[in-house]
Amino acid sequence: MTYLLAHPARVAALAATHVELVVIALVVAALFAFPLGVLAARRPRVSPWLLGTLGAIYTVPSLALLAVVVQWVGLGFLPIFIALVVYAQFMLARGVAAGIGGVDAAQVDAARGLGMSSSQVLWGVEVRQALPVMLGGVRIATVASIAIATLGGYVGGVGLGVLIFNGLTLHQPAMIVAGSIAASLLAIAADGALRLVERAATI
Amino acid sequence: MTPASISFEGASVRYSGASRNAIENITLECEGGELVVLLGPSGCGKSTLLRTVNRLVPLDAGRVLLDGTDVTQLDAVELRRQIGYVIQAIGLFTHMTVAQNIAVVPRLLGWDGATSAARVDELLQLVGLDPTAYRDRSPNRLSGGEAQRIGVARAIAAKPRALLMDEPFGAVDSLVRTSLQRELIRIVRELRTTTLFVTHDVEEAFRLADRIVVMRLGRIEQTGTPEELLAKPATTYVRELVHAADEVYERYYLASRERLRGSPP
Amino acid sequence: MKRREALARLGAAPLLARCAFDPSAIRVASKNFTESFVIAEVYAQALERAGLRVQRLFNLGSTQIAIAAMQRGNVDCYPEYTGTALIDVLHLPPQSNPRAAFATVAREFRGRYGIVWLAPSPMNDSQGLATTREVAAREHLATLSDVARAAPRLRLATIQEFLARPDGLPGLQRFYGGFNFRDVRTYDIALKYRALLDGKADVATAFTTDGAIATQSLIVLRDDRHFWPAYNIAPVVRAAALRAHPALRETLDAVSPRITDGVARAMNDAVENKQQDPADVAAEFLRAET
Repeated sequence: MTYLLAHPARVAALAATHVELVVIALVVAALFAFPLGVLAARRPRVSPWLLGTLGAIYTVPSLALLAVVVQWVGLGFLPIFIALVVYAQFMLARGVAAGIGGVDAAQVDAARGLGMSSSQVLWGVEVRQALPVMLGGVRIATVASIAIATLGGYVGGVGLGVLIFNGLTLHQPAMIVAGSIAASLLAIAADGALRLVERAATI
Repeated sequence: MTPASISFEGASVRYSGASRNAIENITLECEGGELVVLLGPSGCGKSTLLRTVNRLVPLDAGRVLLDGTDVTQLDAVELRRQIGYVIQAIGLFTHMTVAQNIAVVPRLLGWDGATSAARVDELLQLVGLDPTAYRDRSPNRLSGGEAQRIGVARAIAAKPRALLMDEPFGAVDSLVRTSLQRELIRIVRELRTTTLFVTHDVEEAFRLADRIVVMRLGRIEQTGTPEELLAKPATTYVRELVHAADEVYERYYLASRERLRGSPP
Repeated sequence: MKRREALARLGAAPLLARCAFDPSAIRVASKNFTESFVIAEVYAQALERAGLRVQRLFNLGSTQIAIAAMQRGNVDCYPEYTGTALIDVLHLPPQSNPRAAFATVAREFRGRYGIVWLAPSPMNDSQGLATTREVAAREHLATLSDVARAAPRLRLATIQEFLARPDGLPGLQRFYGGFNFRDVRTYDIALKYRALLDGKADVATAFTTDGAIATQSLIVLRDDRHFWPAYNIAPVVRAAALRAHPALRETLDAVSPRITDGVARAMNDAVENKQQDPADVAAEFLRAET
């Protein structure tokens, strides 16, 4: 706590970049995960392959993945950003697939039969119906990403991980504690906020 | 909108991986304003035949004509907006209110809010539900009978040229079913909408149909009025299905029909 | 503008803007231990004071990562030790003469990697022997040659591996002669200075820039015949960065000579023992020196 109290602006600034990193990574991740999840929900034959592959990637230890990405893109913001986008795929796509796949078939049949176009069926019925489940995936991905993003401090990156890894290097427990507490608070806040959104979206 | 005729000309559908055609060379004429019941056991192809009309199932051979126009010449989405569709599972959109559900097709067709709202109230009254009590209700808070009334209201909201009903009353108890059937007859008479109605329930077919099409294994066994089926069953299958030549059944069916419809107009 | 700059320094400027390729920024890296971190911070702040833009890529996991990042062009500059470069990067035999070691690494890095060694600091982070002021005065100890002679009257506090390694006690005995201590006791790393301070030992093995030496006002005895390899620290810079930023050499060449063993010890001590922020420690050093 002492470091947090002594350097509130620095911790806040790192927390802000941490949030920024996670949000940008999740938005970009969703651009890939959403169509992949819809594909998995629509094609039962493709689904196990697709989700299996993403799940396998998800089980690669974060540091190992980060090491590979660093070889590829170098140090800084990019490797942790790419790692987050890759990791989030499984959690987001699984949420989308489970959500869309779980939509009441009768509503989809009725929507088509009444003359909604495929995009109207998708956005007006399937996505809206699947929203609570998909948001569950987003919540899990967000909390996990806040944690994984701390590894950014290991590759010359950004965010609260800088405090944690600098603290480890410099034998300054206060820095480690400050970074960990701030990251935990972020995760708890994100979890709570997204739970509220999820509840609001529940039909 | 004037009721449309529906014609099937040698219509065949084969699902991928199936050993036989789901429907085989079906030829059938339904006049404008007629209520035709497709009757048969599950797997006989009656639902498939129904769903070829609004192109939810594509034909592998033959044609379906709506008022003389091949439905494949029309945009599928535009076509469906002109044809009401009611299914057994109803499929009310649970993220919308009752009023929003009923107004789905009017909204798709670009009706303005006031016209849609007036139409919603009109339809709620038509299906026997109080607009003030039901308008803003969630579909999750409706009984099975109420939900299917909304399903019917939704299907006919934009005054469709034809109405497709796939075992719509199969999931409600018999008391509710009878009242729904009675209302359907009243509504169809009032709107004069050409209606294709799928059921496996012989009594229901006899109560509702202007004409009954008996189907089996993807083919038509016989087409005729209820009286014709009872008097002159074309095949053994039809005879056994309707218990033709059994006076008790004959009297029962015809009495049931008359009770529901009132004396013929 | 002021406010904007301040925010940018805090890292609150929009992330993408900061991550966009900025050819005018010099990317300064450090490895993941205190001395590398603080001296990299000194370099970074010196460059910023000279009006250059700096991006920090601190805390890299190893020498190999740092060198690879330099070769890829991800990093322009970081502090490296002559001994580490010689042994761990070039895989050449250790050299005890600081000038010879520097000449070798400067020549080889230029040729192999296109990396330039700027002027080294006098600071030499090597192994050593430390003692208290009282013992030094009483026994007239200033150099390792003095200790070699006085050893039969002295007790050594050390760690286990120092007794076995060729660059430990056996090597010292062979190279300097003597070094036959009256008593040798092994301790945990954290406790060997304690033994010295409590009078249970007269001499202890040490790292020459260890912050604890500054705290306890111990004396490090001079390796007068250069037994241990030289570990002078110097800025290593990509030749391309040096061409792009001519001020880089001049700026760092002005700072490096001022980083002595004593300065390094004080900075390590401030960060590790006094728990000060490396940025504050580096700033204080630069303020004091100019």
